[in-house]
Order: sequence, then C-alpha cells, then structure tokens
Amino acid sequence: MEKWECQACGYVYDPAVGDPSNGVAPGAKFEDLPDSWVCPQCGVGKELFSKVD
Amino acid sequence: MKIVIVGNGMAGTLAAKTVRELDQEAGIEVFGEEKYAYYPRPNLIEFLAGRLPYEKLFAFPEIWSTRQRIGLHFGERVARIRPDERIVETGTGGIFPYDALLLASGARAAVPPLTGSGLKGVFVLRTLDDALAILDRLRTHARVAVLGGGLLGLEIARAMRDRGAEVSVVEIFDRLLPRQLDPAAAGILKHQIEKTGISVRLGAVSREILGAAEVRGIRFESGDEVEADLVVIAAGVKPELALAKDAGLTVERGIVVDDSLRTSRPEIFAAGDAAEHRGRVYGIIPASFEQARAAAHNMLGMDMPYSGTVPSNTLKVAGLYVTSAGEVNPEARGHEVLVRSVPETGLYKKIVLKEGRLVGAIWMGTKKGASEIGRFVALKKDVEIRKGDLLEDTFDFAEMS
Repeated sequence: MEKWECQACGYVYDPAVGDPSNGVAPGAKFEDLPDSWVCPQCGVGKELFSKVD
Repeated sequence: MKIVIVGNGMAGTLAAKTVRELDQEAGIEVFGEEKYAYYPRPNLIEFLAGRLPYEKLFAFPEIWSTRQRIGLHFGERVARIRPDERIVETGTGGIFPYDALLLASGARAAVPPLTGSGLKGVFVLRTLDDALAILDRLRTHARVAVLGGGLLGLEIARAMRDRGAEVSVVEIFDRLLPRQLDPAAAGILKHQIEKTGISVRLGAVSREILGAAEVRGIRFESGDEVEADLVVIAAGVKPELALAKDAGLTVERGIVVDDSLRTSRPEIFAAGDAAEHRGRVYGIIPASFEQARAAAHNMLGMDMPYSGTVPSNTLKVAGLYVTSAGEVNPEARGHEVLVRSVPETGLYKKIVLKEGRLVGAIWMGTKKGASEIGRFVALKKDVEIRKGDLLEDTFDFAEMS
C-alpha cells in the first residue's frame, strides 16, 4: 500500500501502521483519512503530503 | 519535576508533547511570545496563498487541553532567566520555578540595514501577524517585490502570484536557491518560475527601498529601479539569543548545545532554530524535531544523544519538485559528481560521492526517488557499484534499501 510523506517535517504515513495516536487503525488508506486529519508530528494538513513512490 | 519551555513553535510544542507522553506527572509550562496557539509555520504559506482557511491554521488543540495539564502562556514573554535560583520571570511579573528549562525561542526574520525598510508596505514573513498584515495590504496593493530568492522568498512569491499579484523576486546572488542548488539546476528552476509569470532579477544588490510614507519601489546599486507597493523581505533569519545571553549561557551564532542538547548550564537546554550544535544552526524543521525529541528525553533524565541532522528539503516551486540533500556544491577535492539533465522538462539529477559513498544530491523535476535519495544521503550509503544506474528514471530504489 502507498505511503505518504509530510513535505513539512518528513513524517511518513504508512497505512500498514496507521496513526494510533489519532485513532487511525492499521490498514486505513491515506486517501480515506478524514480532511480534519493532520500530521501527527508537525500538524500540517493532508494537502502538504505527497505520495512516496 | 518542573519543566519550563520558552517558545510554542515546532520545537517547543513537540518537546511539550514528548515530555507528556514520557511522564504523566511532570509539570509543564509553555510560554509563547505570539498570542496564538500552536500552528505549524509552513501553514503560513498555505494561508497566504489562500489554500488554507484561518481556522485550519492551528493544530493539536487536544494536547493543549486541560486533560494534558500543560500550562499555557500565549502572548506572555519570558523577560528573564534567573539561573542560580532556577526561575523564569515573565514580562507581566509572573515567577515560574523549573528543574529543567528548554529554550526553544526560535528565530526572527533578519532585516538588512537598508534605507526605507521601515516604510509602510514593507514586511517580513515569520509570524501569523506578519501574514495577516501582508494580506491586508494585498487587498489594495498588488505590485509585489520579494527580496530574497531562497526557499522562503520563492514560496512567498508563488503564494502572492496565486493571489493574482504582479510579482518580482530579487536575489543578491547570481542564482536562485544558492544553498540548495548548483548553477545548472538554478538556471532550470529560474526558467520554470518565469513561466508562471513571476519575474526574477539576479545579482541585484538593493541600495534602498523607495517611498515617502509608503513604499513605491526598490532602487539597486546598478541604478535600476523596480516599482512595488508591497515589499516582503526574505533575507534569512536570526536566532533569538537575548534571554540566553542575559543568563550568561555560551552563545555563538546560536545558543551552544552539546550532544544532549544541554547549554553551558546542565539544567538549561536549547532546541530548534535558536540552537547551535557542533557549530551548526540548522533552521530546518527536521532538525528542530530531532533536537526537541532528544531534549525532552534528556530533561527527564532519559539519555538520548543527538548527533546532527543531514539537511534535506523537498519543495514544490512553479510545479517543480526540488529536493536538495547534504553537500551539493562540494568545495574540497576527492568528490565524484554525476549529473543527468533534461532542461526542457525541468529534470535535473545530481549525485555527489566521496569514496563511493553518497554525500549529496539534487533531485529536481521529479518526486520519484526523492525521499529515497535524501535518506541515502543521510546514511552516507555506499552506492559505488550502482552509481551508473542511480540517475535513471527507471532505477528501483527498493533494490538497494
């Protein structure tokens, strides 16, 4: 599954891990995260993430 | 355990979060000079460009909740540290004792000594108040000059252009992003930026900002002038050192810290844009985060060494991804440099090797492989046997990871 990287701070969202600190269970695709989700490390929104390929 | 944190930017906020995760009992007091709750600074550009509404600027309201028991003092300046008594004193006369103190006071925008820099219509962009003031001016004044062709200057120019302004970027150096790019890559970037309608003036030394009460333009040493009714100075930042100096801490360009982020007093720590580690003041977000995380552990007596951060940046200017990592313009001998360039599409890839190990890279015009190459540089990965293939678009980094 696709990983996404925060362009502000470098945090990588890995769907295999999810974001437990914000109640996102493993398996959730980046595209399916709610618009209110922010980078758990620096707090920028989804629009500042780009796909790691 | 009482912990006081000066600064509620990225370093101060992550340190507070980390301390609370590690220790449910520690007292945490955070002081921020700005009157606002934490917002990630990169959001200011998104806000300026009109891509992010005001209410989405802020992040992590939950960590500031009473449930986390973090004492918040926004808009409250720490006026003085009394290191022998382990106390901070605030501008309003408050007294807060600490067992460990973190200086995450950040940096201010540097303003070169230029006649006219105090005129109405001249700004810097560092704080949310700066961004609000720029937007207010932009409503009625749309001829913009940005002084500085570095990362921030180019981001501001693009944001103002997205708002429909007429924008010129003025750079004193003979190329854009002089710290991140080499001359060839900078030339390609300039062309791409000009295609978006932004005008770029290189090697331009400003002599004065023109205007009587309000700004009306810039005059250069060459005698040329450019008209502008809104000027943004993006000439780098200066670490905020006043508190540290006043407390008698060792200060060079930044507040000097060791590998445990301790200043010259062991119970006072520094992290982020104000800190100087092994002679370097980074001023980049990944370094702020690594330092803040390590400082949080060390303040609680949990040993976490910090040995430095390899500078790596990815940004998107004029639709072009630009990644720059490590040493991109090697001055010493003994480096091998490989380049692949397709100027028409904006593609430019360069790797710098020392004894077969990757020590620097520029990756422009593509996102593919950008984070991998940044990571390889951070690890100083030995790429000798694959160096001929690395620059190919088809190269699969997974093979080497």
